[in-house]
Amino acid sequence: MENKKERKKVSDVTIALGQVSSKVGDKDHNIEVIRKITKQAKGKKADLIAFPELSVTGYVVRDRAYELAEPVPDGPSVRKIEEIAKKENVHMIFGMIEKSAKASAVLHNDAVLVGPKGYIGKYQKMYLPTHSVFEEKRYFRPGYQTPVFDTQIGKIGIAVCYDIYFPEVTRMLTLKGAKLIVYISASPSVRKGFFETLTAARAIENTVFVAFVNLAGIQDGLQFWGGSRIIAPSGNPISRARYDEDDLITARINYSDLTRVQAWVPTLRDLRPEIFSSLKEAAENL
Amino acid sequence: MILTKEALELDLPLTATRLKRFIKDYVQKTKAKGAVLNLSSGIDSSTAVALTTLALGKDKVLALSLPEAETRNPTDIKHTKILAEKFGFRLETIDMTKVLETYYRSILEFDPEDKLSKGNIKARARMICLYYYANHQNRIVVGSSDKSETMMGYFTKWGDIAADISPLMDLYKTQVRQLAAHIGVPAEIVKKPPTPQLWPGQLAEDELGIKYETLDLVLLGFENFLTPEEIAEQVNLPAELVVGIKTRWLSKEHKRRAPLTLKTEYRTIGTDFRLPYSAP
Repeated sequence: MENKKERKKVSDVTIALGQVSSKVGDKDHNIEVIRKITKQAKGKKADLIAFPELSVTGYVVRDRAYELAEPVPDGPSVRKIEEIAKKENVHMIFGMIEKSAKASAVLHNDAVLVGPKGYIGKYQKMYLPTHSVFEEKRYFRPGYQTPVFDTQIGKIGIAVCYDIYFPEVTRMLTLKGAKLIVYISASPSVRKGFFETLTAARAIENTVFVAFVNLAGIQDGLQFWGGSRIIAPSGNPISRARYDEDDLITARINYSDLTRVQAWVPTLRDLRPEIFSSLKEAAENL
Repeated sequence: MILTKEALELDLPLTATRLKRFIKDYVQKTKAKGAVLNLSSGIDSSTAVALTTLALGKDKVLALSLPEAETRNPTDIKHTKILAEKFGFRLETIDMTKVLETYYRSILEFDPEDKLSKGNIKARARMICLYYYANHQNRIVVGSSDKSETMMGYFTKWGDIAADISPLMDLYKTQVRQLAAHIGVPAEIVKKPPTPQLWPGQLAEDELGIKYETLDLVLLGFENFLTPEEIAEQVNLPAELVVGIKTRWLSKEHKRRAPLTLKTEYRTIGTDFRLPYSAP
């Protein structure tokens, strides 16, 4: 974690989303793309750039997941991307497969956060889709933590793709103080409508800024629909990337907007914690 | 799920854009010089050739017209020429009659009365021609199989189904018709009754025993986990007919898969040897 003494209060942050088409199984190529796009984003004054889910490895890697996995943060990919972040003086979020330090066949679908001083932390995807074209539970162990990262550019929560269908993940991150939620995703085209709705919904119901970065391009017959976006706490999109193809978007956000929106849509003030235990009970008896 | 023809309507500009990108992406990833397709002048092959030409450009597409004596007809020949003139792809015609007659003479137990086995030779011989051009000229073979016929197993194993990519395989026949009209395939081809051209007078809807407009709704119902009873009621068909379609769909899985083997080792091809698709 970054040194709290060195952190000054920030309100104005420029976010970039690197909507890329990862090459399946080619980490060197993908990290080189991440390097180039980060440089471009820095040219647009980005403080933070996020890349899609499994952007280091490609999404449809199937059994190759084991050979592509690395320890986090001690593997070569994190180290290479740390160097990019240091060189460009920027925060970066990217997706990769984590190999457990304790058991080599235990893998996680990670979002990793690095900053100008190196590794900050990781989020392990909690909800692993295993239906339709998805087979994540076959390979990954779910995460159990929802860390919020207190950085030089504000308090950031991270979630991965299918996590967005479970509002409790974002709610937890919000209640822990996140002002910006970054979703990294690998969503194929038939799911586009869901995410367009859910990204706005998560912003509105939590009154937080949302950044959603999705994969583009085609892997194994799946067209990833892109459409990355940065959304204001009111639910209105501030910036949107094109569909299906690579793109880089940036947007400047100001955390002072949160007070205005939270006064107007006071969902956090109106939370009813006493119903959470009955929600748990109902879920356990589904 | 309401099974009406509206449920099969496509966002045509989006579908066309995505399928063209899919074809182009595959050609780029394989570093192929272009594509080769069989053009029978039916709705599926005409749409596949037209779409591939729009995706890659006319100079990168070779369409093979592969007629033979028993099924050749002047209307089809006229349609292939109309399509080639309209879209500008290269068209080559190879008369398959002599090749096929050699097969018929060479197979010791050849039975001319068994028209299905004989017809399948035709479909497989066409495949051999396509793959000759693909290998020799570094092209990919673009198939034209649609979802209706693939679900029903209405194709020749290792014949017309054989391809590197099949961009239309997730579209039902009636959806291919929509797409065909959208990208400018002439109406006379779109409206022509489909035939696999395995023997003279063969018509797909006669053999399947149902019109594609109805079949596609039944298959859409199965795709969406509806029961035969629910489908029969919605589409107003006898339940036995819908059950028969389901039986046929399930019984043809052997035609859609890689050859089955017995699992005896740690990871097995076709079952738990799960690798990402890699282009050659």
